[in-house]
Amino acid sequence: MSVPGMTETTDAVARARAGDNDAWGQLYKDFAPAIFRFCRRALPTREDAEDATMDIFIKLQKNLSQYDETRSFSAWLYRVAANHCWDILRRRKIRQDKETEDVDEVPLEHPDPNQLDRLIEQKTSEEVRSALGKMNARARMALVMRYYSDMSYDEIADALGVRRAFVGVVLLRARHELRQALEGKTALAAGGTS
Amino acid sequence: MSEPANPVTPESPGGTMDHLDEMTCLLYAERQLDRARAQAVSAHAQECAACRTLLRALERESRLLTRAMLEEDEPLPSRIAALHEQARKSFGWIWGLVFGLAASGVYALYTQLVEPWQARLEQAGFGGTSLLSLMIFQGAFWKGWQSMLTLLEVLAMLTVAGSAVIVFRRRLRRGSALALVLAGLCAALAIPAPASATEFRKGDTLEVTKDEVIKSDLFMTGARARIDGTVEGDLFFFGQSIDINGHIKGDAIIFGQSVRISGQVDGNVRSATNNVTITGQVTRNVLTFGEVVNLDSAGKVGGSLTAFAAGLGVDGHLGRDLLAFSGNTIISGDVGGGIQLRGDSMSIGSTAQVGGPIKFEGEKPATVASGAKLASPVEFTKHVHESRYKEGHYYVWRVIWTAAFVLLGMVLFLLLPRFAADAVSAGERVGAPLGLGLLVLPGVPIAAVIACITVVGIPLGLMTIGLWLLVMNCAEIVVGAVIGSWIMGKTSDTWGLIGRMAVGFVIVRVIYTPIEQIHVIGWLVGLGIVMWGTGAIAIALYGRLQPKMATIPVAGPMPPIATPVGGVQPA
Repeated sequence: MSVPGMTETTDAVARARAGDNDAWGQLYKDFAPAIFRFCRRALPTREDAEDATMDIFIKLQKNLSQYDETRSFSAWLYRVAANHCWDILRRRKIRQDKETEDVDEVPLEHPDPNQLDRLIEQKTSEEVRSALGKMNARARMALVMRYYSDMSYDEIADALGVRRAFVGVVLLRARHELRQALEGKTALAAGGTS
Repeated sequence: MSEPANPVTPESPGGTMDHLDEMTCLLYAERQLDRARAQAVSAHAQECAACRTLLRALERESRLLTRAMLEEDEPLPSRIAALHEQARKSFGWIWGLVFGLAASGVYALYTQLVEPWQARLEQAGFGGTSLLSLMIFQGAFWKGWQSMLTLLEVLAMLTVAGSAVIVFRRRLRRGSALALVLAGLCAALAIPAPASATEFRKGDTLEVTKDEVIKSDLFMTGARARIDGTVEGDLFFFGQSIDINGHIKGDAIIFGQSVRISGQVDGNVRSATNNVTITGQVTRNVLTFGEVVNLDSAGKVGGSLTAFAAGLGVDGHLGRDLLAFSGNTIISGDVGGGIQLRGDSMSIGSTAQVGGPIKFEGEKPATVASGAKLASPVEFTKHVHESRYKEGHYYVWRVIWTAAFVLLGMVLFLLLPRFAADAVSAGERVGAPLGLGLLVLPGVPIAAVIACITVVGIPLGLMTIGLWLLVMNCAEIVVGAVIGSWIMGKTSDTWGLIGRMAVGFVIVRVIYTPIEQIHVIGWLVGLGIVMWGTGAIAIALYGRLQPKMATIPVAGPMPPIATPVGGVQPA
C-alpha cells in the first residue's frame, strides 16, 4: 500500500473542507481501501464492510469541518470507522454484550509460554483471519482497533465504552479467545458475528 | 469484568522468583507500564527464561495479528473503488436526461392534467386564478380566513402545528421549540373569535323550525336533520339524512346517506352522499359524489352540475353545464349549457332541451328521443378496450409520466433533503419497509376514517388521507432512489441522491412496464413497490419522531502513541 504524504493529506483535507470535489475524491481514493479493510476485519460479511465503508465516508463528508488539522487525519478517520463499526455490531448484537459480560467473569488460565510460542509459530495469517471470524464481536473489534489501526488504549476504551484500565483485560481475553479458535476449540463466547 | 491484576510481582517476599502474570507481560509488550514497573519486568525477564519466552510469544502474536489483518487477501470491491469516478462521470448525461424529462413532464402535466381540470372545476363553480388558490382559498370546504377561524379549524391547526414541532424538533433547540409552541398558542388565543361565526347542533334528530332564523353558519351532526327555517350562513351537515325545506343563504356542505333539497339554497351545494334529490332550487352550482343523483322536474340549479354517480337523472332545469361520470344518465329536463358525460349509457328524452354541445363517451351511442331539442347532435366516443400496451402513445405517456415523477422527486428531495436521505436509507433494508408498508397502506385510511368520525378530527383525518395519497405516489420515487443507490453507490449529496433517484426510477419503470402487463403478477409487483416505498417513508417519519440514538463519532483526535506493533497507514 502506498502511503500518502502527510502534507498532501493535510492539503487535500483543507481543500475538501473548502468544497473541492477533486480533493474529496483524492481523500477517498487514498483512504477508502484502508477503511474498507478495517471494516472487513471488524464486521461479519463483505457486504457489511462495503456498506459501512460507504457510510463512514458519508459521515466523514458531513463532519469534515470538525476535524482538527493539527492532528493525524488517519487516526481521526480510524476513530470514526471504529465507532461506526462498533455501533453497527452493538445494535445488532445486544444479546452478545450480556454474553460477553458473563465471559468476562471467567478467570483466564496462565498459558504455557513454550506451548504458546509454538502455536504462534505454526499458524499462518490465513488461519488467524479465519479464527478472527469465529470470535465474538467485541473481542474481534478490540483486536482490529489495536493491531490493524494502531489505536491507543484510550481510544479503544472510548470506542468500546469501557474504562481504560479494562482495555488490557479485553485485549488479553480476546487473545485467549483467538488462541482457542486457532486450536479449533469452541470460542469462549459463542455467537460471534461471523 | 474483573479488575486487572497487580501488574508486577516479580519477586516474592521470601526471595524465590515467581513468574510474571500474562497481563503484566502484555502491558509491558504494549508499552503500557510506567517506567518503574517496566524496568522491574525487564529485570525479571533477564533472569527468567519462561517469562522471556512468554514476552516473546506475545510480541510474535501481536505481529502475527497485524500481518494477518493487513494482508490484502481479497480485492477491493468495485463499488468502492469506482465510486467517485463513477459518480462524476455519470452525471453529465444523467442531468441532461433529468432536466429533459422534467421539462417535458411539466409541459405534459400542465396541458394534459392541470389545464383541463382547472377548466372543468371552473365550470363546476370553483373559480380561481391559480390551482393553488383554487385548492386552498376557494375550495369547496373553506370559506375564507374569517370563517376558518372557528374553534374546529383552530384545533386542527394547533394539532398540525404541534405535530410539525415534534417532527422538526431536532432542528430546533429545546427552548426554541417551547417558545414556538407558546407563541403559537398565544397567537391562537389572541385571535378574536368571530362572534357567532358558527352555531353547533348535535343530536339524534335535529330541526330548524319554520320561523327560526340562524344568523350564522350552522354546523349539524346527527342521524336526521330537517331545515324548515332560514340559515343566513352556510350549512354543514354530517349525519344520516337531511331534508332542506327552508332557505339556506350560503352554501350547503353535506356528508351523509341521503339529502333532499325541497327548499332554496342560494349558494353552492357540495355533497358526498348516497342519494341526492333536488326538487327545490339551488341558485349556484352543485358538486356531488353519490350513487343516485336526481334533479327532479320541479328542481332548478342555476349554475352547473358536476356529478360522480352510478345513476343520474336530470328532469328539471339546469342553468349551465353538466359534467358527469355516471353509469346511466337520463336527461329529460333542460340544460342551459353543454354536456360532458362519461359512462355506460345516456338517454335523452323527448322533453329534453340542451343549449350547448353534447359530448358522450360510453359503451354505446346515446339514445335520443325524436322530440328532444338539442343545439347540436351528440358527439359520441366509444370506449376503447384494446390493450393499451399495444398502442404507441401508451409508451410515450409512460415516458412523460416518468419524467413528471422524476420532477416531483427532485422537488421533494430538494425541499426535504435529510428526510429523503433517511427514507432512502430505510428503504435499503427492504424487509422492514415492506412489512411496515403492509401495515401502513390499509392502516392509515382506517385511522383517518376513525378521526373523521370524531367530528373534531375531520380536518386532521382529511389531511391524513391527503398525506397518505401523497406518500403512496412518492413510494416509487423512494424505491427508485434505493435502486439507484445500489447501482451507483451511496452518497450524502442531495443532488447526487436526486441523480440516483432519477436513474433508479427510470430502471424501475423500464422493468415494471412489461411486468405490469401480466395482470395478477403486475398488480402484485406494483403493490410491492408501493409497500416498499411507503414503508421506507413511514420508517423515516418514525425516525423523526424518535430521539436520535446513533452517535456520530467525531471526537477530537488523540495524540499518537508509540506501540510495539505499529499500525497501518492508509493507501
